[in-house]
Amino acid sequence: MLKDITIGQYFPGNSIIHRMDSRFKIVLDIIYVIMLFVAQNFMGLAVAAIFIFMAYGVANIKFRLMLKSLKPIVPIVIFTAVLNLFFIKGEGNPLVDWWIFTIYWEGIETSLFMMIRIICLIVGMSLLTYTTSPIILTDAIESLLSPLKKLHFPVHELAMMMTIALRFIPTLIEETDKIMMAQKARGASLDTGGLMKKAKALVPILIPLFVSAFKRANELAMAMECRCYRGGEGRTRLRQLKASPIDFAVTALVLTVFGFVIVNNFIF
Amino acid sequence: MIGDIVNIIETKDLEFEYQTLDDDGKVIESNKVLKGINLTIPKGQFVAVLGHNGCGKSTLAKHFNGILVGSKGKVFVNGIDTADDDKIYDVRQNVGMVFQNPDNQLVATIVEEDVAFALENLGVPPKEIRRRVDEALNTVDMYKYREHSPHQLSGGQKQRIAIAGVIAMEPDCIVLDEPTAMLDPKGRKEVMATIKKLNREKGITIVFITHYMEEAAQAERVIVMDKGRVIMDDEPKKIFSRVEELKAVGLDVPQVTELCYELRKEGIDIPQDIITEQDCMEHILKLFGKDVL
Repeated sequence: MLKDITIGQYFPGNSIIHRMDSRFKIVLDIIYVIMLFVAQNFMGLAVAAIFIFMAYGVANIKFRLMLKSLKPIVPIVIFTAVLNLFFIKGEGNPLVDWWIFTIYWEGIETSLFMMIRIICLIVGMSLLTYTTSPIILTDAIESLLSPLKKLHFPVHELAMMMTIALRFIPTLIEETDKIMMAQKARGASLDTGGLMKKAKALVPILIPLFVSAFKRANELAMAMECRCYRGGEGRTRLRQLKASPIDFAVTALVLTVFGFVIVNNFIF
Repeated sequence: MIGDIVNIIETKDLEFEYQTLDDDGKVIESNKVLKGINLTIPKGQFVAVLGHNGCGKSTLAKHFNGILVGSKGKVFVNGIDTADDDKIYDVRQNVGMVFQNPDNQLVATIVEEDVAFALENLGVPPKEIRRRVDEALNTVDMYKYREHSPHQLSGGQKQRIAIAGVIAMEPDCIVLDEPTAMLDPKGRKEVMATIKKLNREKGITIVFITHYMEEAAQAERVIVMDKGRVIMDDEPKKIFSRVEELKAVGLDVPQVTELCYELRKEGIDIPQDIITEQDCMEHILKLFGKDVL
């Protein structure tokens, strides 16, 4: 059933990485991404790659899941690799020179490098969503962006909208399911015909879905008012985000690896 | 002034109309939904409100916590005027509200977060939130589901979570607007039992809007509305013995009351004020000259 899909692909657990303060996780993830782009040679990249694989080990997330996160980006990886393979012009003689294709050693090197970089990037970001529940992630984003409140950026409102969106994704998916079945029962053909016909067949699904979403929004707003909602000011939270020694230790580790990658750029 | 303390909700000549405006802001159509409602609801009472669709019962309910403010007349909650914007959150904390569709009133993706929502809004300290959330979840018997996400729960369970979210505010009164209308029979029973428990054990005043007569029969007092007016206001036994009047405004009576009514019409000697199955059974057995089993 559509209902059973996991949102944000969160896999509950009790590892160090699961228990880390999600604000640290976000910041460290960003540092990791920067690290991938700072690394200029295979040595640096290898260190970054080994680091993230070890993190998956610590988080006790199956290798299969890691591969699953890579599935959607396979075309991008192949595309990048092919482009680099054929368009990088190196010194010396090309390894292959056939018709319009010329491949240099540098091309192979660069495309391999890019592939590893993109894969590490996705795997690294997936670790965050695999080990952090969406609601905590929202809390962390609200907390991290809170300095922007001084610039009148609606941080709380943004977080609230994200929470509500997450809350209603399963509800609306279920509803779409129901509407589709109802329209099929009345003879709508949703899976046949060309692209245009299929697109047109979506109209009788989307319109009831939108109408109902607006109704829900209206009722939800009233229910929120009944429960004394009045924006972010003076609001407390059930769950407090708290930094623990683990967070600082992991940060120190990431920074050490980062330092190594930078130094490595100059040495080799 | 004693009266002000005993009555949790009091309405005085309350009127409300919906207006349809044209592009220039002129009124082109107005529809009077409430036409002078005078009600007092004492603390601790379990009141059921009955009425045909469009009789104004939901509109009336929304006046009890200041979601709507009457075009004429006043509503007082614990003596506070609901039109007073400065005290609106006192009013809403005192009179909690539960709606029909459980899906559209849960805000958070995790049950306990949702129960905490109102308390977070009120600025209650985190430790106190924790305590009250646990207590509220235990009261509605949903503690073991605290880390579930709402879409994994049944309708009755979701509605109990919505009730927990309201009782966490520790209100004096809960207004429930057809909370059982979208539930299956099992969910209806669960919700009904929870409401009765709150009324009995915590002394919370209940205003229960419904169109199930069997549910209304369980209340202490029944208010019947028709076309924006209160037409009957009495204890359930007396209300349901007025079968013809109820039918005239498009309402039914509980099945057992209907049975006794038909039996009386056939000239059988049976009281008209029977509203529970137990009562009905006893009287019918008596007719056959048998004692209660």
